[in-house]
Amino acid sequence: MSETLPDPDLLAALPRLRRYARVLTGDVNRADDLVQDTLARAWEKRRLWQAGSDLRAWLFTIMHNVHANQHSVRRREQAESSLDADHGPVAGWEIPVRASHDDRVELSEVLLLIARLPNDQREVLVLAAVEELRYDEIARVQGVPIGTVMSRLNRAREKLRRMSADRPAPLKVVR
Amino acid sequence: MSSALPLTDDDLNAYADGQVTPERARAIAALLEREPALAARVAEIRRVNALLRDALDPWLAEALPRELVDAAQAPRRGRRGARWAAWSTLAAAASLAVGVGLGWLLRGELLTEAGTPVTFQRQAAITHALYASDANRPVEIWANEEERLVRWLSKRLSFQLHAPNLNDVGFALVGGRLVAGNEKPGALFMYENADKQRISLLVRKDGEHSRETAFRYAQEDGVSVFYWIDDVCGYALSGNIDKAQLLSIARVAYGQIAASEAAPAAKP
Repeated sequence: MSETLPDPDLLAALPRLRRYARVLTGDVNRADDLVQDTLARAWEKRRLWQAGSDLRAWLFTIMHNVHANQHSVRRREQAESSLDADHGPVAGWEIPVRASHDDRVELSEVLLLIARLPNDQREVLVLAAVEELRYDEIARVQGVPIGTVMSRLNRAREKLRRMSADRPAPLKVVR
Repeated sequence: MSSALPLTDDDLNAYADGQVTPERARAIAALLEREPALAARVAEIRRVNALLRDALDPWLAEALPRELVDAAQAPRRGRRGARWAAWSTLAAAASLAVGVGLGWLLRGELLTEAGTPVTFQRQAAITHALYASDANRPVEIWANEEERLVRWLSKRLSFQLHAPNLNDVGFALVGGRLVAGNEKPGALFMYENADKQRISLLVRKDGEHSRETAFRYAQEDGVSVFYWIDDVCGYALSGNIDKAQLLSIARVAYGQIAASEAAPAAKP
């Protein structure tokens, strides 16, 4: 139990929260709204945070839930328009790199590829590959068994492999 | 490939993501030596991981909107104003940092765009890059004269300084120097670990009492910087080391500085 959250840790986690929010929403502005809602919820629920546990994973969990709630509301509102999981968020993504033209193409391409993954798979992939969360932490963030995390991750990578095999040039590492 | 593969997809993913025990990793590595196709898959997973990080890491370096920084602070009524005063003090001090005193520092290649406002964190990164790379003369006064160093810098900053002891986190004090600031000079403490990696702590006295503290992170020209303000001083810890490691060191430094301010007479 904790009376308060550690401000410095919360601030240190902010850039990563923003980044994950962009992955969830696919939109820079909506992402910041989501971060704001997440922080407000985190302060409301601060007594549920176990002091000493990983604050970042806890915040991702809250963000996942806040987003899921908002998403289902939005889905009800847009009941008529079909949501195709294969066309995940991409419109609002910007490639925020100071890089040469070739690098930008490369980096844009990987973002385009992961944008075409179903949401659950993209989220698992980013949490594992970019945030480097443990699989059991990802399971807690998404509220699913660890086996589901593993299979989502595997399907995400299978799909990336197929998509990049369909392309003329293979993905290359930048730097 | 053989029909009785000893490795599952889950094994390959967990291995590529570094999520297996060292023991299991050794066993898997041994198996992969005999299965080049599987080894190639692992390499491919890691390549895409690196590519994703390259694509998404720059987002971390973006400036944070003040609404979000505000929302990250404890939502206590009446405190918000005070916290904002703290941030605007830092922001004002940062924007003033493009002072004449700093001018000579900025001739270098680090500042490529003329007229770019120099924030506190950027000043810290530039100062770190300039001196940490200097093999022979990174500091003016070496750690063997620590007492004299702290006394001198305290006098020049008109503030009782404290050089945090970072030995417990693997970094020994190399020494320190006076660096140019805007109206007042700043103090730089340099530390080094056993691998000769250097980190530096820049201290600058700000004008007003702000009494507010928060950590922020920035990346400037590949240098990671954690900075915060504590009472009347701004602090920035800079280095080319792992961010999580730098944060944990920043916490240690922060704790020691806070303790020394609570008991100004206490010696480290």
